[in-house]
Order: sequence, then structure tokens, then C-alpha cells
Amino acid sequence: MLQFLIKRLIGLIFVIVGITFITFIMGYLAPGDPIRAQMGDHFDYHTWLMLRHAYGLDLPWYQQYYNYLVHLAHLDFGMSFKYQNRAVWDILKDGVPVSLELAFWGLIVELLLGIPIGILSAIRANSWIDTLNMGVALVIYALPPFVIAILAQVIIVWIDGKTGASWPSSSWGAPWQYDWTDLQPKIVPILVYGAAGYAYFARLARTTMLEVLRQDYVRTARAKGLHERVVIYWHALRNALIPLVTVLGVAIGLLVAGTFFIEQIFNIPGIGRISLQSVIDLDYPVIQATVVLLAVGVVVGNLISDILYTIVDPRIRLE
Amino acid sequence: MSMDAQHRPSEAGGESFVVPNAGLQPPPAELLELAAGVSEAPPSAIPPGEEETQLERRGPSPLQESLRRLRRDKRAMVSLGLIIFFMLVAFFGPPIYQHIGGVYESPQNGPVPASVYHSYYHEELIRQDEGPSAQYWLGTDDLGRDILARLMQGMLVSIIVAALVEVVDILLGLIVGVLAGYFGGWIDQLLARFTDLMFAFPGLLFAIMLTGIIGPGASDALAKLPVIGPNGNGRLLLVSLALAITVWPLMARYVRGQTLQLKEQQFIEAARTSGSSNLRIIFRHIIPNLMSIVVVASTLNISNTIIGEAGISLLGLGVQAPGSSLGLMISDATPYINTHPWEILVPTTVLALIVLAFSFLGDGLRDAFDPRSKD
Repeated sequence: MLQFLIKRLIGLIFVIVGITFITFIMGYLAPGDPIRAQMGDHFDYHTWLMLRHAYGLDLPWYQQYYNYLVHLAHLDFGMSFKYQNRAVWDILKDGVPVSLELAFWGLIVELLLGIPIGILSAIRANSWIDTLNMGVALVIYALPPFVIAILAQVIIVWIDGKTGASWPSSSWGAPWQYDWTDLQPKIVPILVYGAAGYAYFARLARTTMLEVLRQDYVRTARAKGLHERVVIYWHALRNALIPLVTVLGVAIGLLVAGTFFIEQIFNIPGIGRISLQSVIDLDYPVIQATVVLLAVGVVVGNLISDILYTIVDPRIRLE
Repeated sequence: MSMDAQHRPSEAGGESFVVPNAGLQPPPAELLELAAGVSEAPPSAIPPGEEETQLERRGPSPLQESLRRLRRDKRAMVSLGLIIFFMLVAFFGPPIYQHIGGVYESPQNGPVPASVYHSYYHEELIRQDEGPSAQYWLGTDDLGRDILARLMQGMLVSIIVAALVEVVDILLGLIVGVLAGYFGGWIDQLLARFTDLMFAFPGLLFAIMLTGIIGPGASDALAKLPVIGPNGNGRLLLVSLALAITVWPLMARYVRGQTLQLKEQQFIEAARTSGSSNLRIIFRHIIPNLMSIVVVASTLNISNTIIGEAGISLLGLGVQAPGSSLGLMISDATPYINTHPWEILVPTTVLALIVLAFSFLGDGLRDAFDPRSKD
């Protein structure tokens, strides 16, 4: 186990170095001078030289990259190009709780919708419930989240128009606060996030549950004369959840990345919107920081899923 | 109809390798046999020399079997029909549409022929946000541009990007995957590391980053290109490239896995014993056998590509106005969702239909070519 962890941590470091290198080199080779672009009409040669020096852009590329890595190791993402007295983290930090909140509740909705629907479909395999469930899941699984978000928004607007209500269709409340005014704008984006992702869990839950129901020990349990409910919820369900747990880790890693378009459509001030704004502003340090943060999320998520696997299924040993 | 299912991805694949496409240019029977045979019944794969006599005795080839299964799959066939319909509309719709309708006496622009007001970029500023009419079949957007014309252009953009991405995806995926799987060694290591890296980039982020950073410079540089450059379409190339870079490692991984399996099989061993060179084995025996997995994987990937392009344009980083793309139409219509929901519903619905059609066709192809993979 320890050996495995060390191996994975080395892999993690490798991936982070690779990702920082790719993002760094893209910014470095990008056409146009970032400082020049930020200064716009206020261009002045001396200020330009000074700023280049202040950001370390006058150094050779390997020196720049080395400095970047050293700063990163101290969890310092550098200074923004656009807002010259603000650190990158200062810009991102308001968005992080918002995105995490959206992603967290979104995942809860995904699980609460997906797993029961999948299990129900497996128990009633090939009945009309199963066909309906899986048909809906198939369509939703194939659709991009932003299409679902737009359709939800159109529906809100339509209901508002019909009833004269004014349900907010784009905004966000104070993060992790649940007064009605804070909660109200959050409900629909969270439901959309959940709806966009539930289908994956539903399909997976159905497949694994069907697999488990075919096993010998389920037949044995039935043969013993156990109540069908006990067989399903006690013997089968627990084993069907094992693969789901591992997928959960991966899902956690991708959580925040999944909020990107939903934030855009619902006008939510999370890190997705911040990083998009930084792409438009050509504020490379902010872009790099977001990419690194999200990529670390993915890799750590994978690691968590591997570890969870050994915990829920002791037969598996990590090497 | 089912021939077209084979036809489309093979177009994307270029001419550098043989495609199991009986409709277009019948390849030798043994290739057909092998192409579909591996995924279905590996043990029965037979040294190519004996194939001819075997085929006569055995009735329908595995490829024919697969196509028969595909034809029976209603969902896949409906999707295929829809895709063909969309492609016809995208390619032939605009020229036909521009010949329909008389000269319009615009109070603002004077007489305007149909070929202008039915183009995707013409703005008729006093005819904003109209509903469907005889002149504008699907109405106009906030700048008085014809929604149907923009929609058809957007579909064309989706299809072109999908084709470009698949060309790169298949070429790179095949070359790297086969080399890694067949020879192993450092190529394999490099591929494994690189795929790890690319998989750690969350989804579209890499493409968003690349188009965002290089985009402004690239659209200036690419605008000078003759056909694809002007009207803000230049960035399409960049978007396609960015998407292709993110997808090919997955294809390479599939191809590598299949190549590893193939290389252990008896007919390869037979070919090697009979003195075939590595190059000949790869081109004559390995690559033809990879076709079913490549076709299935690239079809399934097309819907992701179309979503990717629409998403990037939606964020304002893809096709620029006055060009059109489904994503750009959605983003243009977002501010008017309260007053004119029609304008956002049209491109969203069409995008959803295209994506669903490709994804269902991909599922159908997978089930048809590899029945064991079901569930």
C-alpha cells in the first residue's frame, strides 16, 4: 500500500510537471507580448521594460519555467498580468467556494438520482420502467450539459412568463449560505448539474447490479428462502456499489471542470467564469493556475478512487 | 443506407489505408474477412492464404453479418438517416435557399436579392428578432440575419470540424497506436506517459486554453486563407487542431490494445513464419483488422467533437462573427432568452439532434461490430 502510494505520488508529480510545462510553453510561445497587450494604448517603453523585469519575462525560458515551478511548490501562483497588484490566488479565491459548492451539491443530486434509478432498472430489468429509465438516461448521457442548462433556462423563463413569478434564471447567492434568497438561484443550476451527470451513474448502477444479481451467492441467498428485499438490499446492493465507489473518485476529480459551462450559462461567479475571463484577457498566470488546479483535481481523484477500491474490496491489493 | 455508415468515417480517414467498405471499392475478400473477423471470433481467424476457399463454404462474411445487425438496429438506422439529412441540408441547403424568393425592397439597403438576404452574414437591421415568415423561413436574429441560413452554415461548420478532427485523430491514433502496440519499447512508454498527461487535462480545458491563447493571433493570420479564412471562420482550423490534440491519445490507446491482441494471433505468426516483413504485416494484416475499432471509436468521438466546437464557440473562442456556428448562435441568442426564446431554441435543438444521432449511430456500430461489448 505504502509502495503504491509512493508510486502514485511520483506519477502525480510527473503529471503536474508535464501539465505546468505544457501550459507554460503555450503561454511562452503564444504570439504577441502579454505585457504589451495589457498596456494597450498606454504603451511606454520604460514601463514595459520594468514590467517585463518585474514578471521575470526577460529571463530565458528555462529560467522562467524553473521559477514558476519553485513558486508553485510554495503554492504561490504568481501575480496577475491584468491586475498588476493582485496575486493570482487573490483573483481565484472568490470563485473556488462557489464552484465547489455547485459541484458538491451537483454530485449529491447525481448520486441520489442516478443510483436508485439504476438499481430500480436492474431489479425490473426489461420492464417498461427499465426501458423508460434507460431511454431517458441514454439521451441525457449523450447531450452536452450546456444544452440541458439552456433548456432549463428557457423553461424557467417560460414559467415566469406564465405565472408572473420572477424565479432568477441567472445568478448565485452567497456561497454555502442557505437563506431563501441565497438558496433560490442555486436550485436550478445544481439540478441541471445533477441531471447532466446522473445518467452515467444510472447506467453504471444498472450494469453492475445486473452483474451482481447473476452471481451464485445471490442465488444461494434466494435458495435459503431469504426475503427478496433482504437479498437485494443486503446481499446484492452492497456489492453492486463497489465499482460505483471507484467511479466516484474520478467524478470528484472532474467535479469542478464540469461546472465550466453551467457557470457560463447561469452567470455564476465560479472559477470557470474567472478562468474564461482570464483567457479573454490573456492573463496567462491565472489560466495556468486554473489548469494546474483542475488537473491536480483529476489526478488526486484517480488516486482516491484507487484507494477507495482497496477499502471497499479487500480482495484487491495495490502494488 | 448502411454502406454510408461505413462511408463517412472512411472519408475522414483519407486514402492511406484500406477501409472495409464493400460499397466503394471492394478490398480483397481476405481483408474483409479479417476486418470483421477479429472482433467476433478471433480463434477462427485463418491464414490469409486459405481464405478464398473458406469464404465460399461459409456464407456471409463477418462484415456482412455486422452490417446486417446494424440494419436491424432501428435506432442506429434512424440516426443514420438523420445524419444524412443534416449533411444534405448543410451542403446543398444554402445554394438552394439563396435561389428562393424575389428581390426584397429594403428601406435601409435598397433592393436586396435573395442570394444576399438568405446568406448567413447579411444584416437587415430593421428586421430584427422576427418569427418565421415567407421571407425568413425560421425568422431573424437580433441583427436581422436569417436564422435558417445561419443554422445551415452552423451545421456545415460542425460537420467540417468533425471531419478535420477525425482525420487527425485516425491518422495519429493509428500510426502511434500501431507502433506502440507492435514494437512496444520507448514509443509505448512515451505514449503511455503522454496519454496520462492528456487524460489529466479536464475535458475541453486544453482546447479552450489553446484557442484562447493563440486564437486572436491565429484568426488574423488565418483570415488570409482563401476559402476557409474570411468571415471569422479562420479559427475553425485552430479549434479543430486543439480538439484533435486532445482526442487522439484515446484512439491510440484503443489501437494499441487491439494491436497487442492481434500480434499474438496465429495468422500473424503464420505471416511472420512465411517471411513477411514487419511493414507488410502491419499494413496487410494488422491495420485492416483495426478498422472496425477505428470506425466505431471515431463515430463515437464525432459527437464529442461537435459538442467541443459548439462549446468553444459558445464561450466566444471559436468561430467569430459574422461567421456562424451552432455554439455562436446559442451565445448570440442568450441575452434574448427572455424575449425571443425561439432564437436560442432552434440552434440548441439542432445541436442536440446532431449529437444524439452521432452518438446513437456510434452505439449501433459498436453493437454491430462487437456484439460481446453490449452492456
